[in-house]
Amino acid sequence: MGASTGRLGLWVSGCIVALVILAGLAAPMIPYDPVADVNLDGALAPPSGDHLFGTDAQGRDVAMRLLKGTEAFFLPGLMAAALATLFGAVAGAVAGYFQGPIRSAVLGVLQLLDTLPRLVFIILVCTILNPSILLIAFVAAILFIPANATVIRRKVEALASEDYILAHVAHGFRPARILVYHILWLQCRPLLIRQAMYVFGYVLFVETALAYLGDYGVQEPAPSWGNMVAQAKELFGIGAWPWLFPAVAIVITIASFLAFGNLVARRAEETR
Amino acid sequence: MNRVTGLLLVALRRAAAGLLLLVGASFIIYVTIRSAPGDAVDAITPMGTPDDLKQKLAAEFGLDRDPLSGYVTWLGRSATGDFGESLVVAAGEPVMAVAGPAFVKTLALAGVSLLAAGLLALLGAMLLGDPSARQQWLTGPLYFGTAAPSYVVAVLFTQGMNWFVHAFVEQGGYETPVWYPIPIASDSAMPYVFAGLVLLAGDGLYMDYLNTVRAELNALRNAQFIAAVRAKGAGVVRHIARNLVVPFVSAFASRLPIVLGGAVIVEYVFTLEGAGYLLLEAARERDFPVVVGLSVLFTVTIIAVGLLADVVRAIVDPREVARGG
Repeated sequence: MGASTGRLGLWVSGCIVALVILAGLAAPMIPYDPVADVNLDGALAPPSGDHLFGTDAQGRDVAMRLLKGTEAFFLPGLMAAALATLFGAVAGAVAGYFQGPIRSAVLGVLQLLDTLPRLVFIILVCTILNPSILLIAFVAAILFIPANATVIRRKVEALASEDYILAHVAHGFRPARILVYHILWLQCRPLLIRQAMYVFGYVLFVETALAYLGDYGVQEPAPSWGNMVAQAKELFGIGAWPWLFPAVAIVITIASFLAFGNLVARRAEETR
Repeated sequence: MNRVTGLLLVALRRAAAGLLLLVGASFIIYVTIRSAPGDAVDAITPMGTPDDLKQKLAAEFGLDRDPLSGYVTWLGRSATGDFGESLVVAAGEPVMAVAGPAFVKTLALAGVSLLAAGLLALLGAMLLGDPSARQQWLTGPLYFGTAAPSYVVAVLFTQGMNWFVHAFVEQGGYETPVWYPIPIASDSAMPYVFAGLVLLAGDGLYMDYLNTVRAELNALRNAQFIAAVRAKGAGVVRHIARNLVVPFVSAFASRLPIVLGGAVIVEYVFTLEGAGYLLLEAARERDFPVVVGLSVLFTVTIIAVGLLADVVRAIVDPREVARGG
């Protein structure tokens, strides 16, 4: 990829990522009462000056609900990204650096988690436990650990035989210090950022998919991008706006998180 | 050691590992069941389940014992294919009698879509060739292709079809629901074709596949041994094809869980009565023997396909056998 395309992509996706994060941070501070917002006379209005993105079937402002809907996935996504990246990094580093029974044990556990069918398992958990969005994000994070660990393990395996790491070993640095500082912190940061972005995107996907499939997660009248899309699809033939805006927001957000993560990692690879 | 015994050893070792994984995965599923709050049977059965049925369920799932011996009881029953009886969805029927046929449908849908995605990815990779400056503008749009969840693709697709139907077909006295593009007939194969297409494009399956195959193909094209083959004047297609099998099979196996998840979504969207549709219905009605039975079936499939992929890799690539699998 050429430098200019990469830089443009990095800027565009980075701005969208920043915008989503800003919305997620700002949303809890904005007062919004979904019940008071109902205005059946003004239902399914197209975008206008009053309602930037139009109104939904109950006359509620779609733009406002989009903004408030970020609350549904922002903190859970952040938590899941942190959890899956942290545990994935530790497991991957241990499996990549050590030999023998430790490595086999960690690889076994990772492989075990990897055999669980992600969406199906999340639905199973939703059936048995009370499915709050935080719990769903937590399960998603655990199911994402193997994917993150594999990426880090490959990198660590490649680095572990490099001369300068061997020099650290020869100097008698503790393995924990070499792994955490010299390998994970100094060498794997872009990869960790990329994986965290993937997990965040996956949480948004799961939140919206579960809302679409069976009213799991955030319940009406509180808005979430998932329940907005799920409700509006029935009315597609009458008014497409309330479906289109959240759907586009979902696709653009997931795409930007994927792209930003990939481009950060690729740039780090190129400038080494 | 000759090649066949080597292969058999690899297969045996993989089968043992697969069995171990199955035990571990089923334990995770069982622990999930046991983590239900309060009285486990109350928490997982629908309201108004009679007491004698509750007791029977508790015995079947070992909920009346400590977790470990309960797990052994449940595993013993499950190993013989007995997952108890459905509570709501097909009340009184054995879970496997309901879930089995539905699961076969889902497996066919997911398998065919995944295979089609792989072949189309190969075709696309051959057509696109080397990533060149000419194609750089493609990168951005491709991300949107990768990011579109299958339920978004499904609605876009059905609406596209709907407009088409309204414009060209409706004069023939053909009526459909607003959001559904095709006549709902149980014996028609068309819904499956549409679902397969959405599955192929949704959740970034095709784009992701295309990127993988393209990277592999380019790495092979530029590999030294291919240059050597070319220099000797032999055909390179056979050598490239053979070396593509390993990444292709790996890609197939590693994407199966994603496609099975996608199948749940498209079956819901197109009301196809496969395992995903059944799973959601059972989850909604709190018919937990069916949910658990289906979860086990999905997990078994993923493990079995992983095993099969390993064996195929070992057959194609002698290095796998030499390494001892």
